[in-house]
Amino acid sequence: MEPATRHGITAPDAVPDLNGSSAHAGSALAARASAVVEHFFRHESGRLHGTLLRRFGAANLVLVEDVAQSALLQAMRTWSIGGVPPNPSAWITRVAINLAHDTLRRQRMVASKEPAIQTQIELQQTEPVDETDAEVRDNALRLMFVCCHPALANDAQTVLALKILCGFSTAEIARAFLSSEAAIEKQLTRTKQRIRDAAIGFEIPAPVDLPRRLDAVLATLYLLFNEGYKASGGERLLREELCQEAVRLTAILCAHPAGNVPRSHALLALMLLTAARFPSRLDADGALLRLHDQDRARWDPELIGAGLSELAAAATGEGLSEYHLQAAIAACHCTATDSPSTDWRRIVQYYDDLLRLKPSPIVALNRAVALANVDGAEAALREISGMAQRDRLDSYYLLHAVVGELHWRLGQHEAAAENFRRALQIANVGPEQLFLTQLLDRSAAPSDASAAEKR
Amino acid sequence: METKSPYLLIFRDVSAQTYKGMSAEQRQRLMEQWNAWYDGLAAEGKVEHGHPLEPGGRVVSGTRGERITDGPFAEATEGIGGYFLLTVSDLAEATSIAQRCPSLPYGMSVEVRPVATACPTLGVKGRPASKAEAVAV
Repeated sequence: MEPATRHGITAPDAVPDLNGSSAHAGSALAARASAVVEHFFRHESGRLHGTLLRRFGAANLVLVEDVAQSALLQAMRTWSIGGVPPNPSAWITRVAINLAHDTLRRQRMVASKEPAIQTQIELQQTEPVDETDAEVRDNALRLMFVCCHPALANDAQTVLALKILCGFSTAEIARAFLSSEAAIEKQLTRTKQRIRDAAIGFEIPAPVDLPRRLDAVLATLYLLFNEGYKASGGERLLREELCQEAVRLTAILCAHPAGNVPRSHALLALMLLTAARFPSRLDADGALLRLHDQDRARWDPELIGAGLSELAAAATGEGLSEYHLQAAIAACHCTATDSPSTDWRRIVQYYDDLLRLKPSPIVALNRAVALANVDGAEAALREISGMAQRDRLDSYYLLHAVVGELHWRLGQHEAAAENFRRALQIANVGPEQLFLTQLLDRSAAPSDASAAEKR
Repeated sequence: METKSPYLLIFRDVSAQTYKGMSAEQRQRLMEQWNAWYDGLAAEGKVEHGHPLEPGGRVVSGTRGERITDGPFAEATEGIGGYFLLTVSDLAEATSIAQRCPSLPYGMSVEVRPVATACPTLGVKGRPASKAEAVAV
């Protein structure tokens, strides 16, 4: 963070000059140019929660959230008029710690609790508040282990992570999950209670528990990313921010000794290679674009490069995780210049491995899509109708969209239209609906069907 | 040269509830708007200085000053969050500056007050340097 001085004050003894001298205005402007980095307040919230929990323990999560919130508010109000101080993070930390001490002191006065805590707390008060980057990352990782504790339900984990780790407001989380603010608030209250009841500590798990606990963290980060990536609702910008947060946290995880294992890198690779395609996912009208319709020139080469090098970092050791396979599939797409030159055969193999590792009708459906590019649409249709647990996908719009597309490729426009209509009934988000409407329109005008068949 | 006069902008704060409902990004944006606003005024030489006020502090009252109330005052809806000291042509200019306060949409009010200069010849400090001069005035 670059230093910044207070508004217009160039010397500590500057005296107000009512004659209108503006000699210091230029330097004030120059000094103010640094301000704070993008997302500072949001990331600061996660950083602050980590710092405070380290000091006050996970059992004090409610207190920690309260004082973090107050400190961030005070920062906004004070800095609005006064300018950003030279070390904003230390400023906020100091304010938050003082607020926490005040609150605890008041609580003690009311309940006249053990004086032992007092000594401990008063000792801490004189501690410096500056943290190294390594400490900040270490706190973030501990916080991930708290949020992803097996004692908490899966969706509760994601919501809690968004709130205390990623600094999203309850309103934002409600928008991202298509839920109400009150419902999210209620769930968070229950989750925090659970953390107290289960006496979850603010620590890196012991080596014996680490692999299992790490899996829980990876699963939550994966969910977080998917929540942002899937087009199932909420604002687009907000969703992309969920993805960015998932990437940021996974990168922190990969950089930490406790999280630096091949499957963490594989997950990060998967996220980066998927995020690289963000810019081309929607057409000019905001309709969803399928992979083979996307303008690959708009894929982010930097993210692809970073993703491929993460995938290389993941290619050590024995374990082959679902993240490895999914990242490998994403890499096949990202390195192909167009859809026909994609190594579909290899992708089908990866899906085979994935099905063995984690059988799911959605994976089977994706496999069928890849298979259509190897053995043709008819083979894919056969595959889908013979698929295990196919009925579980009946309410999944993509199943019908895929079946419709396969029929359309075979020139069976009526069957195609029927399936697109069915998909459209289920799809509930603008981009999906727009995309399906386009497909339906196309099925109704079959003249260009043969041209598309050649694709 | 055009004469300039001092005006004080006094910012009466938004309620704490309004702030609490804002997302981190909204808060950051608001802060950045304030900073940009101030920087613009500073570059034009229209603001001398501006300061936030700490929420703590005291109120002294009673005929002998015997009543002392401790802060903080930040939680109060109408608490004063800070001030700018402007140097501008007239009340109209000060008012139009106040109208650009970024927190107005959130419910903040801005008081615009001309700073009285009892004795213009005494200049910027606004105060006689000694008792003798004060008597002379």
